[in-house]
Amino acid sequence: MDARTPPSAETARAADGALLAVSGLSKSFPGVRALHNVDFDLKPGEVHCLIGENGAGKSTLVKIIAGVQAPDDGDMQVNGVTASFSGPLDAQNAGIACIFQELTVVDGLTIAENIALGDEPGSFGIFRQSQARKRAEQLLASIGFTDLPVTRLCGKLSPAEKQAVMIAKALRQNTRIIIMDEPTSPLEDAEVRKLFDVIERLKAAGKGIIYVSHKMREIDLLGDRITVFKDGERVATLNRGEATSEDLVQLMVGRELSNMFPAKSHSPGDIALEVRGLTGPSITDVSFDVRHGEVLGIAGLAGAGRTELLRSIFGADIVHSGTVSVDGSRIGANSVIKAIQAGIGLVPEERRSQGIVPVLTVGDNAGIVWDQFPGQRDGASDRTAAVSEIVDLLKVKTPSLSQRISTLSGGNQQKVVLGKWLLTKTQVMLLDEPTRGIDVGAKREIYQIINDFAEKGLAVVLVSSELPELLGLSDRIIVINGGRIVGELPGDVSEEEVIAVSMLHAERKADTQSNAFQDN
Amino acid sequence: MADTDSVQTAKPGHGNSGFVRLMRDGHNLQTIATLMVLTLMCVLFAVLSDRFLTASNFQNIMRNAAPLIIASCGMTAVMIARGLDLSVGSVLAAASVLAASLAVAGVPLYAAFLLGILFGGGVGLINGTIIARLSVSPIIVTLGMLNIARGVAYLITPSAILVGLPRNWSDLGTSKLAGLPMPIVIAIVVACLFHVIMSYSTFGKRIYAIGGNEEAARLSGINVPRALILLYVLCGTTAAIAGIVLSSRVGAGDPNIGVGFELQVIAAVIIGGTSLSGGEGRIIGTVIGALIIAVLGNGLNLAGVEPFWQWVAQGIVLIAAIIIDRQVQDGMRNVKKG
Repeated sequence: MDARTPPSAETARAADGALLAVSGLSKSFPGVRALHNVDFDLKPGEVHCLIGENGAGKSTLVKIIAGVQAPDDGDMQVNGVTASFSGPLDAQNAGIACIFQELTVVDGLTIAENIALGDEPGSFGIFRQSQARKRAEQLLASIGFTDLPVTRLCGKLSPAEKQAVMIAKALRQNTRIIIMDEPTSPLEDAEVRKLFDVIERLKAAGKGIIYVSHKMREIDLLGDRITVFKDGERVATLNRGEATSEDLVQLMVGRELSNMFPAKSHSPGDIALEVRGLTGPSITDVSFDVRHGEVLGIAGLAGAGRTELLRSIFGADIVHSGTVSVDGSRIGANSVIKAIQAGIGLVPEERRSQGIVPVLTVGDNAGIVWDQFPGQRDGASDRTAAVSEIVDLLKVKTPSLSQRISTLSGGNQQKVVLGKWLLTKTQVMLLDEPTRGIDVGAKREIYQIINDFAEKGLAVVLVSSELPELLGLSDRIIVINGGRIVGELPGDVSEEEVIAVSMLHAERKADTQSNAFQDN
Repeated sequence: MADTDSVQTAKPGHGNSGFVRLMRDGHNLQTIATLMVLTLMCVLFAVLSDRFLTASNFQNIMRNAAPLIIASCGMTAVMIARGLDLSVGSVLAAASVLAASLAVAGVPLYAAFLLGILFGGGVGLINGTIIARLSVSPIIVTLGMLNIARGVAYLITPSAILVGLPRNWSDLGTSKLAGLPMPIVIAIVVACLFHVIMSYSTFGKRIYAIGGNEEAARLSGINVPRALILLYVLCGTTAAIAGIVLSSRVGAGDPNIGVGFELQVIAAVIIGGTSLSGGEGRIIGTVIGALIIAVLGNGLNLAGVEPFWQWVAQGIVLIAAIIIDRQVQDGMRNVKKG
């Protein structure tokens, strides 16, 4: 085991008596190596933070520990006993509880009933309210929530209170390991402090906490140890105070530069897409321009509103106010049809569920926009000719046009999704995580295609969680957070700068929120 | 996907705003509102027909409503768990002719009744097992069962069994207990039993949990498939009980009865305030919903409205109830988003 551990991470190894110890953990998904040979451990009474970029492997590790996913390889010990979970219940029975961002409480039941759920007190099948209330009160009191009436319906609780209910419920069993995945994201700043109090109490009670977060300030405050992930591997495990926030960011992103990206030789022309004051449920007052032949990158953390922004421009998400114009003419809001007619195309985030129709053929998938919009057709008037031209151009590897698209590799499917917009007079391409779940070779081809789009004069808006990709392709980058634009950066900026703008803004925003909160 | 998920959950919530509180505490309010609709309908029909507001007519309404109330109790439980059972009308008919043919063949009457009811539970077991264990949509499974059970009823007997039934066949449907017709007594007993199950039992809490947030229920260690199977068994059982009560009252085992009954049952449950998206609903509301349907039929009859118009009226009431359900759901969702 020691032989596999990088020497730099040797500094913070757990002593015997760890609550949890995993070694050599690996997990792959088709085309993606999510986790590779990872060692990790958790001691009683500590908060062990996991950090890394999106897709670095934190979530996969957490899911394996929680029994949600099974590892391909590796060993896991809980309290010194080898454990192998076939589902989340096994993990719970082993004393591992998860507090996910999604607050899984039943709104129609009371606090006491929610805490009792699955292990209800009672005799002859009759639910004993008094016992359930008493136990709920005790559990809530143990985490410092003494003033919450346990007969209240969970639907009436604030997110912070729901979270407290979930933590109290997690303590119902003899739970010793608590996993918190971005636990502060549903909370307001004043509530965050309350959560930190709860965490202190849990530590004092000897529980071990695995804390996943993007927020450096929380990691500074809470982390007894910090493990950094990158590209599915553990980069380092550091004790509190061993590294500054800047060092951690460096560890998160520091990677070999590769020649994955084609040379940027775009020559931006007139303004193609003009977005003004776009406001909807998840975005606020977003304005920007993209020129013909320009690639605009949109950076931001998961949940910042990037996908919603693209969908709003495309008319797929509701917009309350603001305008979108293509080549100077304004297009009607909240209509995908009008957006397509104006020359906007979207490559959505979820290829399998939103990008392709799996049961249709390659040809039918490629021609799906061409079929619906006769007025938008570009080039050949014969469908087969038009489709095969694009399939050849994008080098889609398929035996024939009548092949079911679901039998193709992810990269080839994505090329078809990109290609369907080339059959029509598309001026603006919105790309949402265009290389997610695609293997490295196909990624490079897709980068080339995106670059070609820009050289042909299309305006490209690119959302990607992979910063190298964003920086490698974009001429300009805007950073959004909480649905607002918080910064604009040139295309040759460093990864550290992008992360700094995204993250620091998240924290500055939290500060202003808390001030506003106190004013109320 | 991670992106959109976290956005939805990352919203600072205002779950404890006044409107949500009103809606959540509004269970009683909703029951009172349905009760008011029922009262208004009674007033309207009393004006339209002088035969409506009599003791004998009310007993008549209640007796007609009894099978509907009985079957709706099981359906309420299923629908609170986000399920649906379209086979209840056919199960009712099959249980009816099964009991009648057994009674004719010499099986003691109450044993025949019991076997008819067990048959209903058995159908529910098949429905529930396919739905819960094989993850097939309840609409598909129970739509298939609607055909199968009706076919079984006709296979047992192609036409109504009238002759050869034991003399006491109709006792259950026509006798009285403490001055109340037996079907009404049975309906009250079934409704009370289901009220206790839904409101006071461990099983009831689990049903609300499964309908309200199935993932939360699963993560709490609840055996969701087993609970679902039991629900469909209960629903089949109540449908069969309704069939026995109905066929005893009409004095026959008839494979033609209960055509379209499933729609009346579902209408009663929805009018009674059970949410189509699960997790919410009460037995008392369902009872009122069933009474609204019974009063509607009876009142229109007495007012001399053609029977075909009654179909139209029932359909309108059902759609209106669903629209209201939708509006309330949307309203709450918007408030939550805030």
